[in-house]
Amino acid sequence: MTKKIDQFQKMLLIIIVIYSVFVSVKNPQFLQVQTVFDIVKTSSTTMIVAIGLLVVMISGGIDVSFMAIALFGSYTSLLVMINTGINSLVFAFALSMLIGTCLGLVNALLINWLKLPPFIITLGTQNLFHGIMTTFISDKSFGSGVLPSCLHEFGQGTLFKVATENGSAGLTVSLIPVLLAGIATYFVLRKTMIGRGIVAIGNDEESARRAGFNPFKIRLFVYAYSGALAGMMGIIYAAQVNALYPNKMVGDELMVVAAVVIGGTKITGGQGKIFGAVLGVLIIYLLNSTLILIGLSSSWNNLFVGAILVIAVAVTSYQERVKNRSHLIFTE
Amino acid sequence: MNKIKKMVGKDLDLSILVGLALLVLVTVAGAFGGSMYSGRNIQSMAFQIPEFGFLALAMMLSNMVGGIDLSIIANANTVAIFTAYVLNGTWAFGTEGIARVILALIVAAVTSLIFGAFNGLIIAKTSAPSLIATLGTMTLIQGIGMALTGGSSIGDIDPLFAEFGKSVVLGLPLIFWLFLLVSLILGLILSLTGFGRKLYLYGGNPVAARFSAVNNEKMSILVFMATGFLAGMAGLIILSRVNSAKVGYGDSYLLQTMIVCVIGGISPNGGKGKVQGVVIAIIMMQVMSSAFTIMSLSPYTKKLIWGIMLVLVLGLNHVIAAYSQKRTLKQSMKNLQSAQ
Repeated sequence: MTKKIDQFQKMLLIIIVIYSVFVSVKNPQFLQVQTVFDIVKTSSTTMIVAIGLLVVMISGGIDVSFMAIALFGSYTSLLVMINTGINSLVFAFALSMLIGTCLGLVNALLINWLKLPPFIITLGTQNLFHGIMTTFISDKSFGSGVLPSCLHEFGQGTLFKVATENGSAGLTVSLIPVLLAGIATYFVLRKTMIGRGIVAIGNDEESARRAGFNPFKIRLFVYAYSGALAGMMGIIYAAQVNALYPNKMVGDELMVVAAVVIGGTKITGGQGKIFGAVLGVLIIYLLNSTLILIGLSSSWNNLFVGAILVIAVAVTSYQERVKNRSHLIFTE
Repeated sequence: MNKIKKMVGKDLDLSILVGLALLVLVTVAGAFGGSMYSGRNIQSMAFQIPEFGFLALAMMLSNMVGGIDLSIIANANTVAIFTAYVLNGTWAFGTEGIARVILALIVAAVTSLIFGAFNGLIIAKTSAPSLIATLGTMTLIQGIGMALTGGSSIGDIDPLFAEFGKSVVLGLPLIFWLFLLVSLILGLILSLTGFGRKLYLYGGNPVAARFSAVNNEKMSILVFMATGFLAGMAGLIILSRVNSAKVGYGDSYLLQTMIVCVIGGISPNGGKGKVQGVVIAIIMMQVMSSAFTIMSLSPYTKKLIWGIMLVLVLGLNHVIAAYSQKRTLKQSMKNLQSAQ
């Protein structure tokens, strides 16, 4: 069983390698350190929310409100910092993640109460959160001059620098939160009772309930966790862009869902690997930033992402169906 | 009075919907008076209803089988782009005038059916959840349109076709009559034919349907083909009204179609709902939209209102369902006691 998933990830890796070789043959510019580091930097924010979404999807749910949560959390906490003059990165992350957790709890409560597909509910809360923020808090844009200086330093910070022909290229410091999120999620999913519960309710909620798990509590944790990671991502995004807009991020949710599904996560729940989700994000960003290098305009982007997504969905679902049918399990 | 009570009891959801629609109509009339219900505004609303209405009908069909079709808007736009290419002569194959319009209509019908069938085939043959399958096809169909146009809008279409979106019959736009006709046909199919019965059964419990000799795969393909066709018609109407087609037109319709379905009494879990409910909800939604335009609300505020509405309606439906279940239980207990 585990072998099958690893095979899937192997396939993804092979695709990435073949594609990279193809691009670098066509255009050697791709092989520059700067290009690679840029891809890492822009994809790092998405990886964090993808990991959060992965946890939700393993539990059998789906969340399309995380971008609105990220915006809500980062916008509100940075607004507080601008107005009060607090200049501390820790404060920014703490407040944004706290807001994210609260909004995630709202999602979980609604889903548990209404017992309807989480997609519809989180689509509603996505608009609700974004609307509340822009109507009741503020809908002004803030440029780099007003933002706290610690944010800019974090966004430009590098782990180490490599000297290249035109100056030096640095690996972004945003990789550390990604690693932290990945390790924490791995630990939660693999080594704790609640993580086992997440996988259990993803596979079969009724069986999980009879085995002694409390689906309500697990759901609260899952959506709160996703919300907290979204809050974290919001701050990192604002730091990288070094500006604050009330309409950024929201609208990119489905792309992240696509990335996680391409990574081999089972949409009905119970299966999924962090490494897979990260690979899925990488593939999408790789396509995003290299289509121009091989001479196609960026308008071809959706065509390729869509094709990969359809194939990934068809393959994973078909494998599952064959396995289910051989055990005489009918899901539809 | 008793008769009304009986009718309300018979179909609680629909009665609440009618009451709600009347309330919205009266409130709006009170707030804006003449400017809302002037002949001109009613006609302009009737012009706007069809493109949104067809998308909502498409969403309704996919919701009825317990699924969801995210690709409807991408489908509508890409069909519109294909048709626009035929109508502006790029793909006209030497046809002129009325022949070109007919060719364009055929192209639109075929492409929309192909897109729908593609959705249906993936969902039927691999058992992929429709949410994710249509997310994939949405990106793919959008990608086709994007690769063809590069993001620019395709205009300069045959003036004969544009007439179709502007013409008025008996005081109301032709496209509005078309919308009513299609909803009527759809309603009759769902309530009177064997296909409709099977659709409700398949939506309510697909596993039970499979073991009751319903061909699930065929059902799924047919339903998604119909969904695709309705979305394609929405695309045609968009093209005839806007006179150009481009990727990304009407992206905000996705949430609104879902709200309309939920208000119209379609259960997102499948197997429940009627066309007339959705049609009433569509008209109500358009009246509200017009009111927002008159009030010149910001897009953010509209977003807030749509979000609140969706959550509120879902909550209300939940409470009503719990209440009516309790009532039925009580009633049957009473019957049992009186029988003893």
